[in-house]
Amino acid sequence: MTTEVQAAPREYGWRMPAVWWARQRHYFLYMLREFTAVPMALWLLWLLVEIQRASNGPTHYSPHGSPWFVAFSVIVLGFALYHSYTFLKLAGVIIRLKIFDRPIPSGAIVLAVFGTWAVASAVVGFVLIWFSR
Amino acid sequence: MTIQAVRFDPDKDSAPRTQTYEIPFYDESMVVLDALNYIKSHIDGSLSYRWSCRMGICGSCGMMINRTPKLTCNAFLRDYWPRPITVEPLSNFPIIRDLVIDMDDFLHKLKSVQPWIIRQQDIPLGAREHRQTNEQIDDFRQFSQCINCMLCYAACPVYGINGEFLGPAATALARRYNLDSRDEGLKKRLPVIGEAEGIWECSFVGECSVVCPKGVDPAKAIQQTKLDTTMRFVLPYGNRE
Amino acid sequence: MSEAARKRPALDHLFFWFMFSQGGVISAIFLPVHVLVQGILGPLKIVTVADRHYDTWVLLLGNPLVKIYILVLVSFSFFHFAHRIRYFVVDLGLHAAKGLPAQVAFYGGAVVVTLATIWILLASVPVRIW
Repeated sequence: MTTEVQAAPREYGWRMPAVWWARQRHYFLYMLREFTAVPMALWLLWLLVEIQRASNGPTHYSPHGSPWFVAFSVIVLGFALYHSYTFLKLAGVIIRLKIFDRPIPSGAIVLAVFGTWAVASAVVGFVLIWFSR
Repeated sequence: MTIQAVRFDPDKDSAPRTQTYEIPFYDESMVVLDALNYIKSHIDGSLSYRWSCRMGICGSCGMMINRTPKLTCNAFLRDYWPRPITVEPLSNFPIIRDLVIDMDDFLHKLKSVQPWIIRQQDIPLGAREHRQTNEQIDDFRQFSQCINCMLCYAACPVYGINGEFLGPAATALARRYNLDSRDEGLKKRLPVIGEAEGIWECSFVGECSVVCPKGVDPAKAIQQTKLDTTMRFVLPYGNRE
Repeated sequence: MSEAARKRPALDHLFFWFMFSQGGVISAIFLPVHVLVQGILGPLKIVTVADRHYDTWVLLLGNPLVKIYILVLVSFSFFHFAHRIRYFVVDLGLHAAKGLPAQVAFYGGAVVVTLATIWILLASVPVRIW
């Protein structure tokens, strides 16, 4: 169903094709990008479950580890990386910053944003691995 | 070369249909507009379409070429030959006849953002001119390049689904004035760009900027407007002048 | 009432977008490393990871900074997911996803997840400042 602008009586009104997103590569990639939210949400829910399992006590605690879980994580990682790459790249393009009234080129901002991603990932990864000893 | 053009006669047809024409491809500089002009001159004078400058500046000749919104004066036959080219009226708009679409909604939206310099107090003519540095013009220069060709609206699936959406060109135009150092009208434009069917409907598909023949980047304009509008309401003292 | 008078800045949409954009940045920056380390490298035993063993997991989860980090990560991310999935459904043609009941369902869902996260963080492992 579309909210159509009123077409005059003899005009042929616009109807949006139901599968408009399958008609062009760019539209399909956009829908894929939007869809990444679903697997990411599911994985975060798994993380919450794993945190909750810490209350099971030492003898009954069992982290996720089945091959199915690893396969699920691989798929989620693909979607998460696609989200990160598209979102951070676009965020870098949008942000306008001026230092002493000189605008910073968007390429530099994009680089800074991706740099932040790398540093944050390294820090979190380090914490998760260091505190396993 | 084969051209498959959409035809629609409101008096005779209940729905658009396709008609196929064969035209000579006699020059590598030929564009789709040349093909349409050839059809109208030599084959079928009833074919209706808009065009004017034939050099990519008036914005009249926008149509869907193989399902992509393009200016027909800017679509070279050599890039499509030897395959047939489909020419359809711009998507997301009602069709008046053949390749001519109803652009009333577009014009209405352009006007709704008050695309002129708004000042608290107008400087009387002859008193002095507005001074503006090149850097100040650079702030909005890109968004002032719009030729109102509507390719961005044809490319935008959000507009296709929801005709109430303000749309790329109108928002870019609003930003052009909001960023203009001579303008003091941002608060007047805010109710239109900041309403539910304004910038918030945009989900950053980005196709508008891809098809824009003038590099206006309306997608960037919309996202920057979202950011600026949000900061305005989130930061203390942000929404006061 | 004139058409211009009917329009006003939609502060609710502004808020949704604000949460969406913050959540997008947070989930973009932090989620992949969690999926990689806790979802793939840890279970495959390529490296040792804190959540593989009870005592190391509890040690990490007891830290109040970690709890705050997890809350921020999950809450903002779910607001991002809620907004994105709602508009994904709109794009698929379901106009009802734009209405108020849908907004309550999606963003309310994010609120529910936030509250559940607070409860889990507080209830599963006590706060222990090392």
